[in-house]
Formats: sequence, C-alpha cells, structure tokens
Amino acid sequence: MRDPANPSVDSPEYPPELARLPPGRHGLPREFVAHNQRERLIAGLAEAVAENGYAGTTIAHITRHAAVSRRTFYEHFNSKDECFTAAYDTVMTELRERVGSAFEQEDEWPDAVRAGIAAMLEFLASEPHLARLSMVEALVAGPVVVERYDEAIQSLVPYFQAGREGRPPEVLAGLSPTTEEALVGGMVSLISRRIFAERTEELESLLPDLVEFTLTPYLGSAEAAKAARRS
Amino acid sequence: MSREFIARHQRARIIAALAEETAEKGYRAVTVAHIVKRAGIARNTFYENFGSKEECFLATQEFAMNTALERVVSAAGEIDDWPQRVRAGLTAFLTYVGEEPALARTCMVEALSAGPASVRYYEESQQAFVSLFQLGRDVSPHGGQLPETIEEALIGGVFWIVYQRLTGPEASRIGELLPELTEFILTPYLGADEAGKVANGGGEQNSGKRRDRG
Repeated sequence: MRDPANPSVDSPEYPPELARLPPGRHGLPREFVAHNQRERLIAGLAEAVAENGYAGTTIAHITRHAAVSRRTFYEHFNSKDECFTAAYDTVMTELRERVGSAFEQEDEWPDAVRAGIAAMLEFLASEPHLARLSMVEALVAGPVVVERYDEAIQSLVPYFQAGREGRPPEVLAGLSPTTEEALVGGMVSLISRRIFAERTEELESLLPDLVEFTLTPYLGSAEAAKAARRS
Repeated sequence: MSREFIARHQRARIIAALAEETAEKGYRAVTVAHIVKRAGIARNTFYENFGSKEECFLATQEFAMNTALERVVSAAGEIDDWPQRVRAGLTAFLTYVGEEPALARTCMVEALSAGPASVRYYEESQQAFVSLFQLGRDVSPHGGQLPETIEEALIGGVFWIVYQRLTGPEASRIGELLPELTEFILTPYLGADEAGKVANGGGEQNSGKRRDRG
C-alpha cells in the first residue's frame, strides 16, 4: 500500500541523532563534531528524562549524560524546552518512517494496517526511554510539545482512511467523519496507558487486539477478528 | 449557615475559579493569586482548603470526573436495554461537558500538561466507564470473542474525540457528536447496522432483553 501520510519515504534507518560518538580525541571535522554534539545532547536528554522525569531534568543532567560542556549545550539549544522539542521531533520522525515503510510493504490494506501497528509497537517496546519521552513526558513538557503530540496522533488518520476505498456503500454508511480519529485515539490511549504504568514489555502483545479494534468498522467483527489472528 | 456549609461552598467556589482561570490562561500561567481573586476569597482561605495550586487542580479533576460519572450512572441506570443505556450515558456525558466547558477543558485538555499526577488521574478515571461498556458482551452475539481491551480502546477513542473538539473552535457543538460516538461504541458489539439504528434514535425493537417500556 502507498503510504498515505508520507508519500516519499526513504528506507528506514536508525536516526543518527540517537547514535553516540565515543568520547575522546578523534580528529573529526568540526561540522561533523558539531552535528554529533547535537545528537549526543538529544540522546542525553532522553536518558535524563527517563531518570528524572521532564520537570526534574536540569541542563546539568543533560550535559552529564551527553558528556559535553554546558557551553556546548547553549551553542545548540536555548533551553531545556528547545532540546526536548528537538528530541521529540527526532523520535517522531523515526516512528513515522518505520510505520510508513511497514505499511508500504503490504499489498492489502488490512495487512498494511497490521504491519504499521506492529512496527509502532515494536519500536516503542524496544526503546522504553523514547517511548516514555514521546508518549508520556511530551504531555507535561508544555503547550508547544502537546500541540506537536496532537499533530503526530492525527497524522495516523490517513492510514485508516485508506480503508474506506472500495468499501461497499452499506459499510461506508456506517462510518462517520470522526471514525478514524476515534480509532487512532483509542489505539494511542491503550498504548500510552501501558507506557505510563511502565509496562512497555506488554506493548507487542496488544497487536491482535489493536488490529481487530481498528479493522472492525471497515470489515465487520468476524473478518477483523480473522485478520487479527492471522500471523 | 453552618460552618460546614460555608466550607463546602468555599471549596466549590475555589474549584470553579480554578477551572475558569485555567480554561482562560492555561494551567502553567495560572497562579493562586488569580484563583483567589476570581473566587472572591482571602488567600488564607485558599490555603485552608488546598496546599498548593497542584493540589487544587487534582481536586478539581476529581470533582469533575465524579460528577460526570454520577450523571452517566444515573442516566444509564434507569434503562435495561444495553444499547439504549449506552446512548443515554453518552448523552449525559456530552451534556455535562457542554454545560461546563471550562471545567471540561481543565480536566480533559489542561490536565494533560499539568504534571504526571494529573495525567495519571486522567488515564485512570477513564477506566471507571469500562464496566458500563462490558455489559455489552452479554447482548453481543460474539461477546465471548471480543478482544479483552475493547472497552479500554473505545473509551480512549471517545475521550480523544471530545478532547479534539474542546481544543478546537467547535467546543460548543459537543452534543452533536452523540450519533457518531454511539455508533462507534456499539459497532463492535452489535455490528454496524444495529449500531447505526440505535445511534440515530431507533433500534429499540430489535435489541431484546428490555423491561416493559411503561
């Protein structure tokens, strides 16, 4: 299926922002070092927030985890908020690319939905710190990030809207303009409640439930349940 | 007037003032001074009731969620037919949100940026509605096979839609969501046809299991 949210997606790679440069002298070009410092600060923030929560995180925590100086921090960011926003955007870009590319690899819409949800759960389960940063801490990081969070959730709507295509009129009659928003909201609430409770390891077991839940309005319960239990 | 009456009344006024201030300015910008001024009470009186703005915020959330739940239970409890019961409960919920937009905004929008305790309370309080929906498994032809988490997901979806409306320009038209949200909730249990009938105000004749309409 063509990815309805990101029409041109490159092959997914782990974001360079989350990779780390080993400390010490390395004789690398200045621009590379600067770029890498920014990435290290972002990774440092993710670790600091996982440890202390957003409110409890200070710039000193971030620079300690990133192993850079305070001055370097201020060369890249004006505030903790700005650094957090950069980290949030990095995680979301990665998540979107993974979901988009998993979705694209399937021919049939129900399989594409399943693959997209699986990719999302897998990423969040494998990165509990980033899961917490993007789904829990983002909400307490102030209105700017909350707005981005809302946008990120709404950006999943087109994947479900694609399911309307070719559906018989009686099925379409049962869908409302907000069906997809409600499905996305329900799915995200299930996921964030697990992350909130620090039960990230349960995320992947939600796959069949989430597939059945999101496919039911389009395929009916019986077909949706079949698609959910297919492996 | 008894001392107790006055105290209860003061608390209610402080809660109402916090909701209005928060809906207007956003949680972060609101100070105890704003709340005190709006409520028309002394600063001391505020601190006799609450230790901090955070504590007052949590009390407001608790008050609103309890009231919402009471309204839903009292509207839904009188009806035996489950699909109609869901519709009545949802009507009561949306009506309450529509009547108290400042309180709703405080609890469903601002709560998300008011710190971990508030977010947790928001997430947990949604769970109070689970048992009302679970009764649908008894009337559903495939109730035994529904995913274990379906109620949690449906409630999350309903809250998300209401949240979206409260953050947008259509906050005053919350009540219009009734048919689509009813259909959204009922579809997994009854199928789209039957869910659509109930959503649009019909469907009573087919749903069995109901007492005499009287």
